[in-house]
Amino acid sequence: MTSPGDAAPVKPPPSFSPGVARVASTSPSRYPGEHEGTQSLDAELAESQRVSSPNPLSASIADLPIRSGSSHSRSGRSSTPQLARSSIGSPFDGRSDGFDDTRSSIIRSFSPTIAVHASEDTDNLVRNKGFKGGFWELVRPFGETVSGKVVIRDSIGSSRAWEDYGVRFVDFKGLGRAPASRDSGVLAQMEEVLTKQLNSSDGMFDTSIRTKDVLGFPATTSLCKSFLQQLLCSAPTAPHETFGHPVANVIVISSRNPAPLETLRQLYADGTTGDKQLPDWVNEEYLRYYVLVHDEERDDITESIKLYDQMKRHFGLHCHLLRLRSSQCVVTDDDSMQVPQCEWLSPAEHLSGAEALVDLGTDGTPYLFGSDATAIRAFIRELVVQSVIPFMENKVAVWNDQVASRRRGISGRFMSMSRRWAGFGSSSRSSIGGSSGGNSGNYDPTQHSYSPDSPEAILRKMADFAFMLRDWKLAASTYDMIRSDFGNDKAWKYHAGAHEMCAVSMLLNPLATSGKIKLDSVDQMFETACYSYLTRCSDAPHALRCLSLAVELLKSRGGSATESAAKWAMRVMDFGLVGSLGQIIYTERVAACYASKTPVGAAKWGGRRRKAGMWSMLAADQWLKAGQPTLASACLEEAEHLYADVLPADGVFPMPEMQNFVETLRHSVKVEYLESRGFDVRDEPASEDLLGTEETSEKLDMRHHRRSLIGLPVQLDAGAFNTTQGPLDLESLPNDDFERA
Amino acid sequence: MAATSKATIPSSSTIHGSISTLNNPKLLEMSYYFTILSPTDTPLFNIAFGTSKGGGDGIARFRFPETAQYMNQFIIHSSLDILEEAQWTNGGMYLKHIDTYPPAAAYITAFLTPSGARFLLLHQPPNLPSSTSTTSGLGSSSLLGTAGSTTRASSSSIAANPTSPQTEEAVRQFMNEVYENYVKTAMNPFYKQGMEIKSPVFRARVNAAGKKWL
Repeated sequence: MTSPGDAAPVKPPPSFSPGVARVASTSPSRYPGEHEGTQSLDAELAESQRVSSPNPLSASIADLPIRSGSSHSRSGRSSTPQLARSSIGSPFDGRSDGFDDTRSSIIRSFSPTIAVHASEDTDNLVRNKGFKGGFWELVRPFGETVSGKVVIRDSIGSSRAWEDYGVRFVDFKGLGRAPASRDSGVLAQMEEVLTKQLNSSDGMFDTSIRTKDVLGFPATTSLCKSFLQQLLCSAPTAPHETFGHPVANVIVISSRNPAPLETLRQLYADGTTGDKQLPDWVNEEYLRYYVLVHDEERDDITESIKLYDQMKRHFGLHCHLLRLRSSQCVVTDDDSMQVPQCEWLSPAEHLSGAEALVDLGTDGTPYLFGSDATAIRAFIRELVVQSVIPFMENKVAVWNDQVASRRRGISGRFMSMSRRWAGFGSSSRSSIGGSSGGNSGNYDPTQHSYSPDSPEAILRKMADFAFMLRDWKLAASTYDMIRSDFGNDKAWKYHAGAHEMCAVSMLLNPLATSGKIKLDSVDQMFETACYSYLTRCSDAPHALRCLSLAVELLKSRGGSATESAAKWAMRVMDFGLVGSLGQIIYTERVAACYASKTPVGAAKWGGRRRKAGMWSMLAADQWLKAGQPTLASACLEEAEHLYADVLPADGVFPMPEMQNFVETLRHSVKVEYLESRGFDVRDEPASEDLLGTEETSEKLDMRHHRRSLIGLPVQLDAGAFNTTQGPLDLESLPNDDFERA
Repeated sequence: MAATSKATIPSSSTIHGSISTLNNPKLLEMSYYFTILSPTDTPLFNIAFGTSKGGGDGIARFRFPETAQYMNQFIIHSSLDILEEAQWTNGGMYLKHIDTYPPAAAYITAFLTPSGARFLLLHQPPNLPSSTSTTSGLGSSSLLGTAGSTTRASSSSIAANPTSPQTEEAVRQFMNEVYENYVKTAMNPFYKQGMEIKSPVFRARVNAAGKKWL
């Protein structure tokens, strides 16, 4: 039974069974024609974008037998005349889509999920190295950025290299079993993390951390960025979107294992049966990848290679031999390096991580041998480039051909119409048959999910795959196709998710025009998604994610889109989706949205400086009330900067009550800022004077009053002068502008 | 529903409830803040008043009275961004509704005079208690009974809707009457352009126009 010869019971995964490969090889020839008819412009652009083959990487991939299906199709397509016209050096080639930081992190947050299922002996080996979470914890930080470029082919066959591709490793045991109670607490946890970040590193979030964009206005603050990242990665595995469903399952054994093939079979079986089985709504057609971890220090490499060859014979090419050292690495070792920090930590992990750091002191981050890190990086690169990406490309092509094109064609439309109106015709298409009435074909209202092999679920999965492969055009058209179906079936979460992702992928598509009509429909989709999430499903975390995506993506579009970005940010506050600190962050976002709308022409037309300034002032006021004078002074500085262009005189507001408010705010920010830095302001005679005569002096002469404020830090010693950098800038910047004007 | 949003609902609704005319049958009372700005953005004249039509007492009740003083000015000042854009695209003197400040549900309507002075009217519908907003199809049954649903509810009833044609027309009449009085005041030999308007007669007339039309 356990002899290597009859290890046949491990069924080869469907992904590399020959039937699938053959289908893949035929599919691309069919659907490019479909696209060319309608989107000739895009096809042309994509063509110019194509870096034609002298890429060593794609060539080497094409040599592999596993890629045979796709490499055939590529050569078949390159015989068409239009491919010969491909040009190198178009403006699209060199441009990485990471030109916008926020945009890039949004793109990276929707990366493929890879489950890690390690045997007990492997986890023990890794635990010896100091990683308590086992193999999963060891590879996770390395998965967030795959080293080197990753080349992905989209649905019309053009390749594109991505520098910042990443995958997300999750523990197989925790997958799909996120406790439902946490679902409601995510927003509260995020607020808690915010509070912690503010308290623990009071001086850290200084003005210097704010990244300034070209215009000198802060694009994002670090707080806001971490808020967004937590929000994007906190979504639990859910039926209505497949980003959290595993694309691949990595099955890991170590060389210490006494019965390797038996263990592999057991681990494989865990995925389909038993108590570790994934929920019903997860599609079982994911890639299985087998890894043998070789212990460099204790085991014989010849034995491991023998075993590895055996694995290759049984499981095909989705195998890897990972050579690691089993002893723990300490800082003083020759070859030691620090394990990179995880970028995508959910709020819960942030909270527990912060506690762990306190416990362990400075020794929180583990170290790793450089050779181990290199081996892991190579493993992840091979896994992603040679197995996961081709698998996803194949799947998208197959589903596009078999499900989507049928749905797109005239008969598919008729089918869905007849299903909607009459109730016949559903049985012919739904694979599980026997549904609960003609109206709601494949949707199971009790489970709130579609079965994974229904056309709706497959189309959603295909769109998600296309999205993760960064083929936003295909993703947008697929989401667009299915979003009304979900509404007809009253599958409201699916409905909301499809609308949300349709709008997001339309905004991410760099080739799409930013016409007014397009933006209107995008706005409409966000509106629908938000309404479905909030009112129909009462799913606040998803609604917040949807609106935040809307804010950030519309803001990065620029132009008139920034106004709707500001509108969505105000909507977030209006709905009460965020706590009191979150409110302030979104107030800052509104200011940033308005500030990013730049005036055009000599007449300074179409700027939103006054609005941005007002929101910054409000943010400063709120930060001050929240007891964060450092942040308040940064906001105040920004507001002064924004107002500098539009006010007739420097720092003087035309309206008396506004002026009063701003003067009071300036003063109290200054006082609290100095107090927080350890200066007892009441000892200073100047400030005493200020505190007492504040009201009257403002009314007598406002400009003069400001001068007296400037004088305050100068009276302190030189050390104090340096630490009060923020308020000093605040005074000096508008003065410069005044002199220029 | 998240714990955070639950926590905010009662607090915000109690605040709104205390401000708004909770037990007042006259639910459609608007609050107005009217400003005349010189071409250099200096305020020449300010007045705050409330609805007088339909039995209103003509007293402004802004939603957030503790901040209304400066917030109204902030809102009006920030709407100058939009005004500067709208004055080139709209040929008329009356620019209608140009801007909204959603957090306070404040609507700005603008009027341009040939001399460059700007009339800006901020109007704020009252915050309806959500129990009375039965007319709204979507918002009233919202799970989050926060300001979002109530503003939607209030804006769906015609008389309180600041962007409805009736309101626009009423504001136009008001603006025209104020303009007439403004011209008369500005022609006073003791008035220099750009000076603050302190005339009690003018104030009384603006008040009367407000009573008459709004």
